[in-house]
Amino acid sequence: MWHKISFRLLKQELRRGELTIMALAIILSVTAVLSLSIFSDRLQAGLTERSSEFLAADRVLSSRRDIPQEWLEQAGQMNLKTAWKVVFNSMAFADGNMTLVDVKAVSEGYPLRGELEIADQPFGQGYVARGLPAEGEAWVASQLFQALQLEIGDDIEVGNSSFKVTKVVTYEPDVGFSVFTDSPNVLIRHSQLEETGLIQPGSRVRFNVLMAGESNAIDAYEDWLLPRLNDDTHSWRSIEDGDSPLSRSLNRAERFMMLASLLGVVLAATAVAVAAQRYCQRNYDVVAIFKTLGASRQQIRRIFMLHLLLLTAASVAIGMALGWALQYLVIEWVAQKLDATLPQAGWQPYVLAGATGVISAVMFTLYPLFRLVSIPPLRVLHRQLTAGNAVRWLQWILSGGTIYALLVIYSQQWWLSTALFAGGAVAAVLLLGLGRLFISASRKAGMQAGSSWRLAMAGLQRRAAANSVQMLSFSTAIMLLLLVIVLRNDLLEDWKSQLPADAPNYFAINIAEDKVDDMQTMFERENIPSTDLYPIVPGRLTHINGEKLLDEVTKEDRDDNEAEGREGIGRELSLTWRDTLPPNNELTAGEWWGDDAEPQVSVELNVSERLDIKVGDELRFNLGGEEFTVPVTSLRKADWNTLQPNFYMIFNTSTLEDFPATYITSFRLGEDRKDELYQLFKPFPQTSLIDLDAMINQIREVIGQVSLAIVFVLVLVIIAGALVLVAQVQASMEERQKELVILRTLGAPGKLLSRSITYEFLVLGAISGLIATLAMEVSLFILQNQVFNMTPVIHWKLWLLGPVFGAVVVAVLGRLSCHRLIQRNTAQLIRKLA
Amino acid sequence: MLIQAQQLEKTVDTSEGPLQILQPINVSINAGDTVAIVGASGSGKSTLLSLLAGLDLASSGEVLIENEKLSELDEEQRAKVRADKVGFIFQSFLLVPSLSALENVMLPAELAGHKGAEKEARELLAKVGLEDRWHHYPNQLSGGEQQRVAIARAFVGQPKILFADEPTGNLDAKTGGKVEELLFDLNKDYGTTLVVVTHDQRLAERCQRVLQMEAGQLSEAAQDVA
Repeated sequence: MWHKISFRLLKQELRRGELTIMALAIILSVTAVLSLSIFSDRLQAGLTERSSEFLAADRVLSSRRDIPQEWLEQAGQMNLKTAWKVVFNSMAFADGNMTLVDVKAVSEGYPLRGELEIADQPFGQGYVARGLPAEGEAWVASQLFQALQLEIGDDIEVGNSSFKVTKVVTYEPDVGFSVFTDSPNVLIRHSQLEETGLIQPGSRVRFNVLMAGESNAIDAYEDWLLPRLNDDTHSWRSIEDGDSPLSRSLNRAERFMMLASLLGVVLAATAVAVAAQRYCQRNYDVVAIFKTLGASRQQIRRIFMLHLLLLTAASVAIGMALGWALQYLVIEWVAQKLDATLPQAGWQPYVLAGATGVISAVMFTLYPLFRLVSIPPLRVLHRQLTAGNAVRWLQWILSGGTIYALLVIYSQQWWLSTALFAGGAVAAVLLLGLGRLFISASRKAGMQAGSSWRLAMAGLQRRAAANSVQMLSFSTAIMLLLLVIVLRNDLLEDWKSQLPADAPNYFAINIAEDKVDDMQTMFERENIPSTDLYPIVPGRLTHINGEKLLDEVTKEDRDDNEAEGREGIGRELSLTWRDTLPPNNELTAGEWWGDDAEPQVSVELNVSERLDIKVGDELRFNLGGEEFTVPVTSLRKADWNTLQPNFYMIFNTSTLEDFPATYITSFRLGEDRKDELYQLFKPFPQTSLIDLDAMINQIREVIGQVSLAIVFVLVLVIIAGALVLVAQVQASMEERQKELVILRTLGAPGKLLSRSITYEFLVLGAISGLIATLAMEVSLFILQNQVFNMTPVIHWKLWLLGPVFGAVVVAVLGRLSCHRLIQRNTAQLIRKLA
Repeated sequence: MLIQAQQLEKTVDTSEGPLQILQPINVSINAGDTVAIVGASGSGKSTLLSLLAGLDLASSGEVLIENEKLSELDEEQRAKVRADKVGFIFQSFLLVPSLSALENVMLPAELAGHKGAEKEARELLAKVGLEDRWHHYPNQLSGGEQQRVAIARAFVGQPKILFADEPTGNLDAKTGGKVEELLFDLNKDYGTTLVVVTHDQRLAERCQRVLQMEAGQLSEAAQDVA
């Protein structure tokens, strides 16, 4: 019988909208979790795939010696695509000119990820290459045309072979980014490698096999391959291991998404809790009537449990459908906008979303339900009777435990969850205290104000206990909203600042000393924005404080040479001198030299940490046979994300100026002026240009994708926040209703009432907003410091915006919810209460 | 003896110390009696009703319904007693807002697991003149109609005792009169024992016995008038 009663009640409760907020909250949490986790799964996979373009593959097996053919065959059998890429340095000759080049011999299929772009003229507009150079042909970089005075159709000689230059390589996905070490590229077919005669035992060649395929095929191959690798000769790389210029940004984006989703889930769970509590409170009378009419506890428990179960099941199902549709639409949109396809996600998001819905519905409803069942029947005569508060701790344990469990399930990082949870708990206690303090302060202020205000403040004060709990959820919602919005802006700003619209898109290197003035004049005359010209002197760091450094070029070399010694950089460095600290550099220790003529050096922070160099250490350098020792007088943090020349070692002018140097600069030339490039640089034949546009575009695209994802997360969190606010305002209506009836009966005009309600919510909202801003700044400081590795800033604007936003939103919501109450006539209200 | 109260006392704790709401009360009500409890507001009428109906427990003393001591029963067992033997009518009607008139009337019978609850409920609704309103929800009914539904609900399952707390208190005189009429008619038909707490002199006068409540003390105010 009980289930019939239960169904009947449920049907009407649903129809009357009593369960809407609760259902919406469950639906939202399921929708949010499902769509976000599918979305981020797919986006992550998509981004990895996209970032894989930096490798031109999903994985690269790299070796100093030839790679066994059997390993390639095995990869083929495991459904992986493979391609060769053999790279070495050689001299290239053309018509009496010669220069050092990077020869890249690739096989059919290259690149496995990303596209190779070529042009018909040096520095011309690139287009996607179909295939590879034909036998006997070579595609070469634009710079080589300058260095060797080439024309399309000319021959170049590399080793024993001669190749006809037929195209210009404008973009190779795996070109990497190293201004100083790369010579211009010559792309030939792998099949012609042997004829060149350049692959000899002992020659410095890097053999690479590129591989791409489904992630499980790659994992399987990895399992097969890894035991066969020799750590000293082989390396097995994925994009995550690489120093992709994007990896840091991607990392941050991923953390942001996870955090925002977590907060979204917590918000939705809060909405469930608030709505459940309200639902149960509304049913106190019903339960009292039921008990009076002879219902047992068990009957009541079953009746309402069934509601909960049905509601949960339906909401979870709707949430799943919505979540799936949402991520599908968004993915389609993203894919269309960015011209990319994103791989499918696995089954995990569905389980995660279902579990989240069920857990938050069940756990947050248990305590209110427990109280509901214990309502005494005597309430039919004494309406003020409610359930005892004896097991209040149960509520704290249940809801706290649930939130913690959700955090752990969702982030799968117990330390992050524990930190967030502990922080949240402390914040909640502080917020409760602060809330009460503010309310009592505003009460005093309100006593001096007009009647609507006085009424509002009296209301606030009277409901102080309820209000401070209410304020806690207002504050939490506003805080999380602000947090996500601000964090998003900071992240985007941070990325934008790395890639401003006027970011340099070319590096010019090898500028001869006697051409420096001409080049500066040319930049000025042609109105081309450029960075300073930096002199470069190649040199080696050989000793730190008299201790000899390992000259570690490769691990093999280390094995051959000495096993002991202090770790060094292992390659020739580009040294520079300057009087002033370069832009985007920040001194972290010591002092800049200014006019001091004593020989000294400033060391970049990362290198100083790697080599354990401190201010005051003595460094010995070898520059083309000439040795000298200088003290370190400062350490610098350089921003490696800016596309400007950066240096590990900067000397004061007097130390280096007598060494022969070439110069480097970066400059910006708009797309529309690209064809002028050849003419502009004709007077500087020794100078090489490196085109960064392709790389910049790639970074922009990825950042674009991530930004879209972040907007999506933001919208979900905003909806969750709004839901909490609405649930909370509605929950407080019951209480207000009684007062309204009394005041109304006593003849209070509607205007006075609606104003006093508006003011009350205005104050509640403003205080919540203020507390939220405070809490947001604190959490943001910790997050930016600990999670995102960003420099925290104080957001002064928000200190005004937070309270105003809180006041307006809460007041509007409150006023809207009360609207119907005020519109009704007193008799109707009394009847509704009775 | 259907209902007996022996040395029944009720004391509650207040901020100014314990407050005795009911002085020791002794009263016996026979099956089929109609009893009115009258008295000023705050005299303890409703408290007495709640103790007699087993909605609350006495501080001391005993209530027996058909010789069963309520103090020896736990809340569940008292609920069972109410389900089997007791019906209620309240001043504020106390219908379940999410159930239709018919469903409200069926409710006690369904909770007690009776079969044929719907048929019985329809008959009762017809008796109170609401046969065409059975599918309406409480907020769609007037006060008088709601109280008629409550009366129908009180009689469903044919309880031995009917407790009514100010059944006409929320109604105008005319409607109140009709409701009163209905209550007594049904009571007669079903032979129920009626215990009614009221301010309404006319209503009290229709009862066989009138008990006067004054500052927690109960006295017989009138002899059989019927």
